Amino acid sequence: MQRIITTERPNLAGVAAEHELEYIEGRGIIGWDESAYYQFTQRQIEEDIQGPSEEIEEMCFQVVDRAVSNEEVLGRLGIPEFFWDYIADSWRKGERNLYGRMDLSYNGKGPAKLLEYNADTPTTLYESAVFQWEWLEQAMKLKLIPEGCDQLNSLHESMVQTLPQLGIEGLSHFACNQDIEDDKGTLAYLEECAQEAGVETCFLGMEDIGVDDQGCFTDLDNRVITTLVKLYPWEWIMAEEFGRQIPSSGVKFIEPPWKAILSNKGLLALLWGMFEGHPNLLPAFFEDDSAAAEFINTGTYVRKPMLSRQGANIEIVHEDKTLEHSDGPYGNEAHIIQGFQPLPEFNGGYPLLGCWLVASKAVGLCIREDRTLVTSKDACFIPHVVLD
Amino acid sequence: MKFRKSVSTILMVSVSVLALTACEEPKVDASIFKNLEQCKGDPLTTSGQCENNFKEARSQHAAVAPKYSTAEDCQADFGADKCEVAPYKSSSGGSIFMPLMAGYMMGSLLGGRGSMMSQPLYRSTKSPTSFSTAENRNVGSKTGRTKVASSATSRPTFKSSTRSRGGFGSSGRRFGSSAT
Repeated sequence: MQRIITTERPNLAGVAAEHELEYIEGRGIIGWDESAYYQFTQRQIEEDIQGPSEEIEEMCFQVVDRAVSNEEVLGRLGIPEFFWDYIADSWRKGERNLYGRMDLSYNGKGPAKLLEYNADTPTTLYESAVFQWEWLEQAMKLKLIPEGCDQLNSLHESMVQTLPQLGIEGLSHFACNQDIEDDKGTLAYLEECAQEAGVETCFLGMEDIGVDDQGCFTDLDNRVITTLVKLYPWEWIMAEEFGRQIPSSGVKFIEPPWKAILSNKGLLALLWGMFEGHPNLLPAFFEDDSAAAEFINTGTYVRKPMLSRQGANIEIVHEDKTLEHSDGPYGNEAHIIQGFQPLPEFNGGYPLLGCWLVASKAVGLCIREDRTLVTSKDACFIPHVVLD
Repeated sequence: MKFRKSVSTILMVSVSVLALTACEEPKVDASIFKNLEQCKGDPLTTSGQCENNFKEARSQHAAVAPKYSTAEDCQADFGADKCEVAPYKSSSGGSIFMPLMAGYMMGSLLGGRGSMMSQPLYRSTKSPTSFSTAENRNVGSKTGRTKVASSATSRPTFKSSTRSRGGFGSSGRRFGSSAT
């Protein structure tokens, strides 16, 4: 695995404008860095990234299958009781998943290790699917990268192919928190994919959703919502005022409710519990488990809230010294303890690999690089190539 | 080339974005009538087509028309004497109100395709001379054969009456970005 310095394309301001990405004079495209790229061999991609990601996905399904009929596990994950039957039903009915992104620590040599699974509301979808691809084509044309470069990237077609297979009928509503530009951007791209797949779509803010006398959800035109593609986490929905209305609302959700079991970092403890010793897993325990105390005593571990996002509230302890302790609003949550697999360092940057799964197939890769071992929302997206 | 996706796909994405912004929406043929009699008087439609389409539109009307919990609210949007009681009750047992059906629209009858989808139309106080679909898409004031925006002919959806709003979103305000 190499990190190779290259030249940026000319007129990045124009490129950014075309894709509605933020560009600041002197700083470039915000959140994107094409002055370098990562290079992998085909074998590394197939055997170290794609294969293991799909294998972990299968293991996750086994975790879900066991968890849906286990009240102790559902309670431990913090899922409210009124949601238990609803989640179990959605799994048993075979409600289909669309996408997710597994975050991996990988240095090109040993097996990749799963740090967490963004199974519900993954971001950087547009950059991964479209922007990174266009960079590849243009960089090759401009001879900024060698001829014959490929990329782990069939994200766009996979999304368009999978959307019609989810059983969506009629109008599909797309919702997120309207105040977050990044979320709106990701959602707009999801909508484009759906439209290309022949799905009728419309957008609304999560806060605009209403409820009628029959317990159905409505949009601002009082249309009953029958399908909701939500870029809004299950754990937030379950805790909010309208959460209780969900089980009887008749809405088809993307991602389906059973994903709430996987988008929780408690998943890592459940995976270790079922598949201890698997080469792509790190040891992981619920913090109140006795095994967690033993692990903490080794002096090297990572402590993460079960429901934190974007690298918030993560503590890395190495040989009894705190290496990193990121800020955030999730400090009051239940935590897990995980083994420490440091991200590799390249030129002072730490790349985190995100393997995209669409319909459970590994079809995309994104790399986000931060200046610290914890990857935060300040990390930059760095493109990659596959070249033997 | 195992990983590479087709070039045409990336072009399609860019083109579709352009299509939405730069091009005018395509129009399709449609026939609009205030009532059954007007349709029957149109030389381009048969009596049978008029009746079938009228029945189809009427059968959708109660479900797809906008709903209001008071007659006043309905009349504010559609005018005095332009509302009726909907065949639904609120959970508190109260009445629900909806606008009267002001007309109906059916697909082009060129080539004898008499089985086109038909849908009810309404007239609001905001645009009293033109017709709107149940999705609030304006289809103009012309009756008989006309041209309407393609998207305006999409199948109307069931309209409910919202009891309360805003029961989602509070965590988003607390924590910031939803996505990871």
